[in-house]
Order: sequence, then C-alpha cells, then structure tokens
Amino acid sequence: MKPGAIDYIILGTYFLYVLGIGWLVKRRVKTGVEFLTSGHSIPVWVTSLAFIATNLGAQEVIGMVASGAKYGMLTCNFYWLGAIPGMIILGVFMMPFYYGSRARSAPEYLKLRFDEKTRGFNAITFAVMTIFSSGISMYALGLLFHVVLGWKLTNSILLSAAIVLVYTYLGGLTSAIYNEVLQFFLIVLGFAPLSIMAVWKAGGWSGVTARTTAWMGAHSQFTHNPDVMTHTWKYMGHASSNMMGVEWFGMLFGLGWVLGCSYWCCNFLVVQRAMAANSMAASRLTPLIAAFPKMLMPMVVIAPGLAAIALHQMNVPGILVPKGNTYDYNLILTNLMAQFYPSGLLGVGLTALFASFMSGMAGNVTAFNTVFTYDIYQSYINKNASDAHYFKVGRITTVAGVLLSIGAAYWAAQSNNIMDFLQLVFGFVNAPLFATFLLGMFWRRTTGHGAFAGLVAGEIVATLTLGFSAAEGAGGWFGAIHTFPSAMAQNFWIAILSFMSCLVFTVLVSLVTKPKPVSELENLVYGYTKMPVEEHQPWYKRPGPLAVIVGIACILFNLWFW
Amino acid sequence: MDDLRIPIGSFFVILGVMLLIAFFVITSGPPLSSPSVNLWCGLAMLIFGIVMLLLARRGKA
Repeated sequence: MKPGAIDYIILGTYFLYVLGIGWLVKRRVKTGVEFLTSGHSIPVWVTSLAFIATNLGAQEVIGMVASGAKYGMLTCNFYWLGAIPGMIILGVFMMPFYYGSRARSAPEYLKLRFDEKTRGFNAITFAVMTIFSSGISMYALGLLFHVVLGWKLTNSILLSAAIVLVYTYLGGLTSAIYNEVLQFFLIVLGFAPLSIMAVWKAGGWSGVTARTTAWMGAHSQFTHNPDVMTHTWKYMGHASSNMMGVEWFGMLFGLGWVLGCSYWCCNFLVVQRAMAANSMAASRLTPLIAAFPKMLMPMVVIAPGLAAIALHQMNVPGILVPKGNTYDYNLILTNLMAQFYPSGLLGVGLTALFASFMSGMAGNVTAFNTVFTYDIYQSYINKNASDAHYFKVGRITTVAGVLLSIGAAYWAAQSNNIMDFLQLVFGFVNAPLFATFLLGMFWRRTTGHGAFAGLVAGEIVATLTLGFSAAEGAGGWFGAIHTFPSAMAQNFWIAILSFMSCLVFTVLVSLVTKPKPVSELENLVYGYTKMPVEEHQPWYKRPGPLAVIVGIACILFNLWFW
Repeated sequence: MDDLRIPIGSFFVILGVMLLIAFFVITSGPPLSSPSVNLWCGLAMLIFGIVMLLLARRGKA
C-alpha cells in the first residue's frame, strides 16, 4: 500500500482538527471538575456518539473485521447480545444512581454506597487495566502501520500518543468527548464505502451467503455446517456445531448477561460518557440513543470480513493471506483498503484508523486521570486540597498516563505471551463487578464488607477456573480438570463462575454484617432514591419507550439473521 | 466552542473537496475499483458536511 501526497494531506488536516478542537475547548475548561468530569455540561447527542466511539478503538475495528472473516455473523452476538441489553440496563435502571449520587466516577459510587476498601480495589484494578489496554492497542496500531506502510514502530506510537496527549491535556474530558464525535463520523464514513464496495463486488448479500457457504463446505475441519457463517443463532445448540466452540447457554449468560453488562454498565470508561451529560434525563438517554447506531455497526465492521472470505473464494488474491497453517485475519481490513481505495479515499481510510485508535486511547486516558486524581490521589495521598490543586494533579496525571501507556506498549512489544495473557485476563477481570453494582443499587441490605468479599471471591474463582481448565492447548497451570472446546468458551464460563461467586459471597457476607443506616442510602439505592419523573416529556425523550423500541429492534435483528 | 456541528461540518466539507480534487488528479485506480469512488465518496462527505453546517446555523437562529 502506497499512500500519495493527497493521503498525507488528509491525515494532516485531521490532526490539525483534533488539536484545534482541544485548543477551542481549553478556553471553556477553567476548573479541575470541568477538566476531569466536564461538569455535567454536554448535550445528549454528543455524549451518545462519544459513548460508542470510545469502544470503537482500532483494535476493536480491526478485530471485528477479522472476527467477521473467521466466524461470520456469529460475531454479531457481540453487538446484538453483548452490547444492546447492557446499554438498555444502564440507561433504564442504573443511570439514576450513578447520576443521582453525584459521584464523579464509578469507583466513587462504590465509596458512597459501600466503603473505602471496595472503592480502592475497583479504582486500582481499573487504573492498571486502562494503562495496559491503551499500551497494547498503541502497540497493535504501530505494528499494523509497520507491516502495511513500512512506518517505524516508534514513529507511529509517538506521533499518535503525542496528539492524544496534547488534546486531552488542553481540554480534558470535554475535549476527548468532542473529538470522539468527530472520530465516530470519520470511522463510519471512512469504512462504510469499503464495506459497500466489498459486499457489492462479492455479489451482494446473496453472493456473500453462497460463497461463504462454499468456503465453509471446503473447510469441514472447522464445522460440518456450511451455512454457519451467515447465521447468528441457528448453530448455537451445541459447541461443536459452530466455529466459536460456544453453546447457547454460555453465549447468553456469559456474554449477554455477565460480560456485556459488566462492560457497558460498570466499566467507567464508557459510563463516564453518560455521566458527563448535562441532565439526569440526558444521561439516561445517552446509552439508549447510542444503541441505535451501535446496532447497525455490524454493517460497517463485520460485513467486510464476510465479504473478504467471499472474495477469497472468488480467487481474488491479496485479501486473505496465509500465516502459518491458518490465515492472517488481522490484515484483512488494510488489505481490503489496498484493493478498493484509490489515493484520496485511501487517506480517509488511514485517517479513520488513526481516529479509531485515538478515540479508544483518549477514552482510556481521560478515565484514568479522573480515577487516579479523585479515587487514588484524593482519597489516599492528599484529601483536602483545593480544586485548583486537583486540576494540576489531573493534568500531570494525563501526561503520566500517556507516558505509562507508551511504556506498556514497548513492554508488550517484548513478548507476545505477555500480551496474550493480559488480554485473556482483561476478558473477565470486570465480570464480578456487575454483581456488585446490581446488588448495591437494588438490594439495600448489601454491606461494604459483603461487596468487598464478593469482589475478591469473584477474582479468586476466576483465577482458579483459569488455572484448572484448558482451552486450545493453553491454561491449566494447576492441572486441567476440564477442557473447553475453545478459548472463547473458557472466557465466557470463567465470567459466569466469577459473577456467580461474587453474587453468592456478597449476599452471604452482607447477611452477617451490619448494613448502612437508611439515612446514608439516599440517592444510592432503589427505594431510597427519588426516581426521575418524565411523564410530561414526549415519548422520544423518555427512557422507557426508547428502551422498548431498542429492545424490539434488537430482537428483530436477531430473528432476521437467525 | 459553542457548537460542535461547526467543526465537524467544516471538516467534512474540506474532506469532500479534497476527494473531488483527488478524483480529477488521480487517474490510476486500485485493482478492484476505479478512481470514480473518490467522486461519489467526496460528494457524500460534502453533503454530510453542508447538512451539519446548516443544522448548526438553524440551531443558532
């Protein structure tokens, strides 16, 4: 792939714009609270798009295309099962407590609802995880540009990190969120033409269906059901009848309920976007409005993967390239760009890749600096300083966060094993959180000791399950008692067991410890919180009716591609 | 900054114009498509950008 002058001009224009937005926002951000939390000032259409953009990192985009080629429409479960239900639960049930408690972060909600140790546990694991995730995705992006464009790893890592640093340093969360909206449009408009052209070239949807069926028929070592790639649920009856090696229960409970909800309802990275909205109503509508474009994203990021297989089946060279005894699925997106994008549009495509990387990284940086400043620095190091002091700490943390991510990127570059291991662990480290937040918000008897014991039990059970089970030849360091059909099935079942043990331990310990007095539960627990009244609003501004529409649309998508 | 629609709209107008220029300048297409996709995508982005700017203007009035 050889970008021309015009492609570099487009990329340069984009860099100027993100820096310019950061500079414009800077004039509005005058206090530490505004820098770190946006001071509840952002309109709902902006928070909604930022809400999904922060999850559209380069790794997700590249990974979804790869997964579309590997698993086909089964990948849509990560959207229609693993995301939409969680987003509905956040908007309808959980947001009133996050927003109503006036907490500045998710860990701070845990402090208000439970106690210091529960907050500390959550804040520290979250901070460590954000640094490593942003480091890993920085490395992945640098590696991709190295392979595809021949750029030096260090150049693309430092360039993208420096730009994210400048605009988050200048305008904090507001700047990150505003840029995420620009990035969202760029990602969609930059990748949609690729999806349309690839599917068109492969003979439309019927051509894709026929050709992926022929491909699967010729690869019976994966599965004996040739039409598996164009169905989401048909072959979920048994783990051996689909390529993911997951059965319907693990999918429904592990991905849909535990992992989906723990990510979309409890991960501060995304929840922070909804908390920045300018009113309680806007914060509840944020995930529900975001659900509409989210539901359609498979057309942009999964369809190209399927089309790539169809094109490969048509003997188009250079799209699905071999790697060892399998294929290099991660190169499909850029290979398709090289085949379909002329100079000009190629610049837009590359810019969209940069944009997706930056939206993911800025999300990590802004969530990290809030959690570090308020939940670690303010609670353990310097309790009673002025807002101006925390403003300064927030800015220094922004710089430190970016530097630590760069360090993590180079550390990940040292060894593939470290990276695989970290990604495996990040897959389920959040799983018990959903039990903690659910019980905390809806069962007033839950105590701080209970929540902490539950979280610790959840993580221990997850580690033990990983240690005692094997999948695809990995894991099982303590002796494999059980072997999962695939790493994905292992990941889902670890999440299920971790969630269940957190639930059980939280309840048991809560029953024998002293609950908080009712006076301290106001705005934190269902039953002691004045729920927002929206009856006087038109239906499209109320969470209830919107959630019903989102839910029905999501079910229809599942049935359509059953 | 008062309205995010202005920077977004102007960005896509510039992008659209650049793709239209690319359509007239670039003659060699990639293996599976032709340089004319620059025209169609350029027009789409130009229209998207103009709509954003119009929305911003209407919002102000």
